[in-house]
Amino acid sequence: MITYICKRLWQSCILAVIMSLIVFLGMYVVGDPVEMLAGEDWTEQDKIDLAIELGIDKPLPEQYFNFASDIVKGDFGTSFVYNRPVLDLITERLPATLEIALLAMVIGLGIGIPLGIFSGIKSNSRASKVISFFTTVGYSTPNFWQAIILIMVFAVFLQWLPASGRGLTNTMFGIEWSLLSLDGLRHMALPAVNLAIYKICMQQRLAKSGTQEILYQEYMVYARAKGISRSRIIRRHLLRNILIPIVTITGLEVGGLIAFSTVTETIFSWPGIGKLLLDSIHMVDRPVVVAYLILITLMFVFINFIVDVMYAFLDPRIRHQK
Amino acid sequence: MSKFIEKLSILGETLKPIFSGHPIAIAGLIGFILFVFIAVFAPWIAPQNPYDLMVLDIMDGLLPPLSKLGNGTTAWLGTDAVGRDILSTVMYGLRLSLFVAFMAVAIGTSIGVVLGLLAALKGGWVESVIMRAVDLKVSFPGILLALMMLAILGTGVDKIIYALIIGVWASKARLTRSSALSEMKKEYIDAAEISGLPRWRIMLHFLLPNSIAPVLVMVPMSLSGCIGAEATLSFLGVGVPITEPSLGLLIANGNDYLLSGKWWISIFPGTVLVLLVLCINVVADRVREHNNPYLKSQDQQ
Amino acid sequence: MSKTPLLKIKDLTVTYPCGPEGKDEFKALDRVSINLSTSQIIGIVGESGAGKSTIGKAVLGLLDPPAKVVSGDITLLDKPLIGLSEEQYTSIRGEEVGYIYQNPMTALNPVLTIGEQVIEAIEANTSMRGKSAYKHAIGLLEQSDVSFAEDRLKKYPHQLSGGLCQRIVFAIAIAAKPKLIIADEPTTALDVTVQQSVLQTLIKLSKQEQVAIILITHDIGVVAETCDYVYVLKNGKHVEQGVTSSVLQRPTQDYTKALMASVPLIEKRLHRFALNQQDNAEDTSAGLQYLRAKEKSETLTKDPILEVCNLSKVFITPSSMFKPKDLFTAVNNVSFTVNRGETVGIVGESGSGKSTIGRMILGLEDITEGSVIYRGKDLKSIIDNKERQKHCLSMQCIFQDPYSSLNPRMSAGENITYGLKAHKLIDGNKAKSLAQDLMSLVGLKKQDADKLPHAFSGGERQRIGIARALSYRPDFIFCDEPTSALDVSVQASLLNLLKDLQEQFSLTLLFVSHDLAVIRQMCDQVIVMKDGESMEMNTNENIFKQPKSPYTQSLLSAMPVFNP
Repeated sequence: MITYICKRLWQSCILAVIMSLIVFLGMYVVGDPVEMLAGEDWTEQDKIDLAIELGIDKPLPEQYFNFASDIVKGDFGTSFVYNRPVLDLITERLPATLEIALLAMVIGLGIGIPLGIFSGIKSNSRASKVISFFTTVGYSTPNFWQAIILIMVFAVFLQWLPASGRGLTNTMFGIEWSLLSLDGLRHMALPAVNLAIYKICMQQRLAKSGTQEILYQEYMVYARAKGISRSRIIRRHLLRNILIPIVTITGLEVGGLIAFSTVTETIFSWPGIGKLLLDSIHMVDRPVVVAYLILITLMFVFINFIVDVMYAFLDPRIRHQK
Repeated sequence: MSKFIEKLSILGETLKPIFSGHPIAIAGLIGFILFVFIAVFAPWIAPQNPYDLMVLDIMDGLLPPLSKLGNGTTAWLGTDAVGRDILSTVMYGLRLSLFVAFMAVAIGTSIGVVLGLLAALKGGWVESVIMRAVDLKVSFPGILLALMMLAILGTGVDKIIYALIIGVWASKARLTRSSALSEMKKEYIDAAEISGLPRWRIMLHFLLPNSIAPVLVMVPMSLSGCIGAEATLSFLGVGVPITEPSLGLLIANGNDYLLSGKWWISIFPGTVLVLLVLCINVVADRVREHNNPYLKSQDQQ
Repeated sequence: MSKTPLLKIKDLTVTYPCGPEGKDEFKALDRVSINLSTSQIIGIVGESGAGKSTIGKAVLGLLDPPAKVVSGDITLLDKPLIGLSEEQYTSIRGEEVGYIYQNPMTALNPVLTIGEQVIEAIEANTSMRGKSAYKHAIGLLEQSDVSFAEDRLKKYPHQLSGGLCQRIVFAIAIAAKPKLIIADEPTTALDVTVQQSVLQTLIKLSKQEQVAIILITHDIGVVAETCDYVYVLKNGKHVEQGVTSSVLQRPTQDYTKALMASVPLIEKRLHRFALNQQDNAEDTSAGLQYLRAKEKSETLTKDPILEVCNLSKVFITPSSMFKPKDLFTAVNNVSFTVNRGETVGIVGESGSGKSTIGRMILGLEDITEGSVIYRGKDLKSIIDNKERQKHCLSMQCIFQDPYSSLNPRMSAGENITYGLKAHKLIDGNKAKSLAQDLMSLVGLKKQDADKLPHAFSGGERQRIGIARALSYRPDFIFCDEPTSALDVSVQASLLNLLKDLQEQFSLTLLFVSHDLAVIRQMCDQVIVMKDGESMEMNTNENIFKQPKSPYTQSLLSAMPVFNP
């Protein structure tokens, strides 16, 4: 078990280094930042000075070393557009993203997984077919189109809910939360539901196929032959086994949520890091884009590590692997 | 020609057990074929060429559906701000969306299959490098990766195809490798080796045809995924260029007019997009269900 | 029958819908009746498709939909079982009828401990709870001959061997002292030495607990050793029933007679299995001619065609950061000689390295140490690939698994002649007629050459595999458990075919099997292997009549014996 965790931790570290290398190469080798920053009236000397200031006159390995050590120190540079430290920009907006992502995740897991298990167990029932049809439709509708429809129906036509912004926020632990005010919650409703619909559909489909796979295992039939009651078989044998794929799915879904939050935040003008990324891409604010990529990468590496550890807790076969 | 008909009948024989008795899946397949037909023949069947500036008239701008245009024809689905016929733009947009997705899936799948086979056959460091790259890719959501790629590369039809390929290849490589590895354990491969057949023959005539089936099952799913991803990226303004709008960009163009009641500019391309993806997903689900060993074993008994 | 009937099955018919849109019906069981009295052990035998497992599932209401009972009655102690609800069945299962599954490794849930699974069964079927259930679980395991019972309860299934898992399943079956246990192929997944002791435990439990057993099996030897009374089924229909010894030794029905004639015997070596030879309608002369046309340069003396000297195989798992290098010796210093025209058998349990030897001879695995000399040339010394190929094409293989040994995307004919065509040893238009000739030679229909492998049964596929090996006009064929996946009657006819071919073309065979009786029937020389080492090597007669090594003796005594 300890060896397994150490092994995974080691692999995660390697993964993080490789990813930072890819981001570094991708962002620093493609395109010349000097040309992008330079004004029309700059002389050659100005450009060379800037290159020295940015440290891009040095050989590549040294540049990477500086890049990596800056990251470790928590220095992600300064935004061209906002002229503020990038890390401040990101930490400022992170809570907004986290709160809708978390809310969407809770809704997605809470509805999607029970629906999936139900339609997996009763796969031939009418209810299961109706559920599966709706999740297929939901899953087939691109996220941004769902957002447009939600705005049209609830904000424009019915005028029940606001379509943009965070609304009033309350402060807890020195951070602003929309979750803590009624107005904030009203503002959160549409973006969170937008993110959640896709999650519900995805979770339902995956939990359904996971359930069916386990239902046809021999140990499920054998549990019945042992004289175990149906409800107990579902509680113990099915749920215990289905947790394994669900943990993986959930881990990957966190990533999906962060990714799709860029779309949702843009449409609903939700001031989170997703919107920041997209704005920065449009305004060629490179330090912000780089910092976002690095932080997201680290987050993914960390999530994958947690999923692997959870795996070992749930599946004795992995736990006992030498 | 007779060869073609023979091929067609073989295709029919393969499709029949998959679709017979599943009306929704049949409807999906017919819908999909219809969309492909419209996309392929758009230049010939569209009422106008929406990108020929000569035929456009700014006076026709923002007309609601069923309006008469200046030249006497009817704009069944209305017009946009510069007077383009929405029906025509949707047909051309469909054409571009399908083209991009088809290219990305075809190239991505080919790359994935080749890398997967290579990993399975060569083993050692070749396999480690390929599979680590796959792990790396699979742990990131495709849409985020594509967004980053486009942030670096800039926009363009070719660029978005590259970005989508990044999302397609990895899962195919992983699947091909595992399927090829399990085929390689089978005894008919041993038999071929005992017969002293060259490796390329074994790979081409024994391994490839037998390990590609699970990859092909995934293709419809990838196709709908790519269509959705392309639409999303184009909607965000990092996908196709404004001069060649796909369905996603058409929706983005109309988005600004939605609040002022000019709903037709977005709603029609959006509906087509949803229907297209739905048709493919319904087919994809049926194909997957048909190939699921757990459900299949029940079928056969 | 003097004792009171425990279980009565009367005219049971079970059907599955099949065909397009499920319009046709397939009868898995057709009016089968079975009677069983308390503490009796009965056997139900039959080949695959006989419907024997369906009986067990029907009694417990475990038939997978869409299978359903269409007519007949099942009564357990005068209580009708047909038509009970799932809840009513739940109180029968475990409490009154225990069930033992074919493969213990897949029957136990991989993520629950043994203890959780045993105690769960106790709590579901008895009034015992908590501590007393735990104590009972330990007692049950000990009764089932599981040592270190308390410790084993904490383990997970994958940490125990197959034999131990099956004993755990026994413990679960007797947890609530049921009156009947249905055992569905309880020893098929186990090695022969384990099989014997597991069976003994089962019989002991039945005596101790006064429990009746329905033993479902394809193994006539197991039935002969354990059952008092036996039912023979074929394709869902009742064929014959009676006291075990009389049914097995004096069968009255043709099917049973043929079945008994197909069972390979340990006692004495027969020339052929006494099967009713169906007339082969096909003309085999063309195929015969093709095979006889091989170069006659080498005379058919009894000189060694293959010499294996000090052969070893070590599998190495390279070291990584968290794991030291791992060595596994699959074959250790094995030497033997195979003379032209004779059959050498290698027998051993799983993991004994018997197949690895063959794979090294054929060049499918690298040789770690030692040498293989084929037709006078050390295979290591032939460096040129082309030359090695030419030298070795007369060395062919018949594989174990009929379902994976043919390329599923090529027709039977293409499978047979693909290699020849690739080597340009035959041109395209002749290949087709050669494939047909060879197919008729191995007892298949000529016109079936265009069919894909999935259109053939397991036995037929093995014949296609033999035809493929014959296409190279081989001198030497390595037979890797060629019949272990087949029913006993199919096995007998296939073994007869191999014997015929060997006689006609003076083929040399290296025959690997885990089945002592098959080895007894097929081989001239026998090598007994265990854990990669050769334990004993001798003539057939000597191995079976005067075994020297203790391991051979234990194998022979563990073998369930059937003597007609």
